[in-house]
Amino acid sequence: MRIPFMSMFIASPFDGLQEHAEKVKECAWTFQQAIECHISEKCKTFEEFRQDVIRMESEADAIKRSIRGHLPKGTLMPVDKFQLFRYLREQDSVLDAVEDALDWLSYRSIPGIPEELQKDFFLLVDANIDPIEELSTMVSEARKYFKNFSEKQRTLVKDIIRNLRRQEHEADKVEAMLKAKILNMDIDPVTIFHMIMLAEIIGSIADHAENAGDMMRAMIAK
Amino acid sequence: MTLNYCILIVGYIFGFYMAWNIGANDVANSMASAVGAKAITIRQAVFIAGILNVLGAIFIGSHVTNTIRKGIVSAEILADPQVALIGALSALLAAALWVSFATWKSLPVSTTHAIVGAMIGFGIMAGGFSVIKWGKLAAVVISWIISPFFSIVIAFIMFKVIVRLIISKKNQFTKALNLSPYFVGLTIFVIILSFLFKTPLGKKLSIETPAALAVSLILSIIFGIICKNLLSRFIKKKSTNTAETIFKRIQIGTSCYVALAQGANDVANAIGPLAVIYFIVKTGNVGATVPVPFFLLFFGGIGIACGIAMAGHRVMDTIGSKITTLTNTRGFAIDFAAATTVLVASKMGLPVSTTHATVGGVLGVGLARGIEAVNFRIIFKIMLYWFLTVPAAALTSMAIFKILQLIL
Repeated sequence: MRIPFMSMFIASPFDGLQEHAEKVKECAWTFQQAIECHISEKCKTFEEFRQDVIRMESEADAIKRSIRGHLPKGTLMPVDKFQLFRYLREQDSVLDAVEDALDWLSYRSIPGIPEELQKDFFLLVDANIDPIEELSTMVSEARKYFKNFSEKQRTLVKDIIRNLRRQEHEADKVEAMLKAKILNMDIDPVTIFHMIMLAEIIGSIADHAENAGDMMRAMIAK
Repeated sequence: MTLNYCILIVGYIFGFYMAWNIGANDVANSMASAVGAKAITIRQAVFIAGILNVLGAIFIGSHVTNTIRKGIVSAEILADPQVALIGALSALLAAALWVSFATWKSLPVSTTHAIVGAMIGFGIMAGGFSVIKWGKLAAVVISWIISPFFSIVIAFIMFKVIVRLIISKKNQFTKALNLSPYFVGLTIFVIILSFLFKTPLGKKLSIETPAALAVSLILSIIFGIICKNLLSRFIKKKSTNTAETIFKRIQIGTSCYVALAQGANDVANAIGPLAVIYFIVKTGNVGATVPVPFFLLFFGGIGIACGIAMAGHRVMDTIGSKITTLTNTRGFAIDFAAATTVLVASKMGLPVSTTHATVGGVLGVGLARGIEAVNFRIIFKIMLYWFLTVPAAALTSMAIFKILQLIL
């Protein structure tokens, strides 16, 4: 087939971006289940959940690579190519942080999270899951904006970004509180170190989500 | 004269083959934006393109064709009928060869360029370099650069206007409906003007430029108002309706025009040389222009329709699944830019293909950031092949001419 018309169109990177965001969302749910499983004594499937996250992370990595590898020089898009790559990196970092948290937890599964901290960790995980769930909505709303360039749609995306920022701030507060609590506990130092690091890694999830939101803000700038 | 009849039969076969190729490949360029934007289904596209290409070829295709397309080669080489016969056959063979090669290798080559190159090759062999009108050739080459860029500018502006006036607004459906007479009217204006200026049908009516402008203006206003009434009658007000719903209907019209214009324009590529052969065999000599008999145009049109019917489905299917990011507003901007470019270029006497104009249209919308991903650099590759086709087809034509001269 010798059709110039067709050779001009390349697969939209936004399809990949959307797919990647969905993977991140899916991972977030599994992450939540894994943490819950780890804390409740009866659950034996923590390792399965962790393997699930690892598998999804590598799938998301493949999507990321395919987006990066399939945008030839001179591609015209509604956004700058490198803004898109920066955004993708932040969205991917969310996944990495999720995987890191589970890995870190698995290095010392016994004795696990002390009982008096469990509630706080649930709170921290929930605070960090919220912004992740916003990501895929943000991508699909931003795509709509690139279709009709309406001010109303732009405001909608901006609201989501503002929301992300607020959620990150909430998560930060929970994290700070938790850390202060851990450091003032009378338990063995190794557990303190284990828990502090865990809180830090989980807390970074929302940070990356917020960074992704900031990159999206740059992408929809006029 | 059995030999001449053999040549005529070979001419028929290759003329049909060229027409088939135009149908199979080039037609996708005109229908692609409509299929990509889901304004029409593949079945409808194949059907519309087939019917309108035949109609365009028969009723508005050139009934008197320039034997050497667009006067790039001086007519004096046609003095010797035997040379002209071999020349026309070798040009046809060379063009067919190149088009097949391009199809096999998926090179974005236009049939127009192949036939222009092949005719130049034949001219050089028959009369030496002096018969080539280099000035005319330069104008043609320049038009291949200018026409895509002209189309880029129009598509860019058109898309920006649509964004600014319609799709960025809150009530984009009502806005689109209210402004539709302007967009439809503007399109009809371009279409009527191009038919008045471009086609033999318009030339027969011999309307002067001011009169043509006035006629087009009045008709476009009337059609614009009628279209608005039809649109508001047939499209029910629903909350799910957007500007795309309106442009989807408008785009059906624009893609019909492109199909009709393509049949009218491109049929000459396939049957131009065939007409020369036919004329020499029938009458023994040939002039600068030959009347093309009705059945030859019909023959060419049927060839194009066969190409569409046999390969069109596969081509459009690929397009429909690959080009998913195109919406109706974008498709309209592309079609409009292509139609306008073809009109202006033709008015200036430059041979451009709809393909060039469509390519420019896509890039214009892409530059206006209207498409999620368009490869801009591909235009340089496409242009390279446009330029390479002419000398390549010329050399092939020359070689075939020499071989045929030895044999016949």
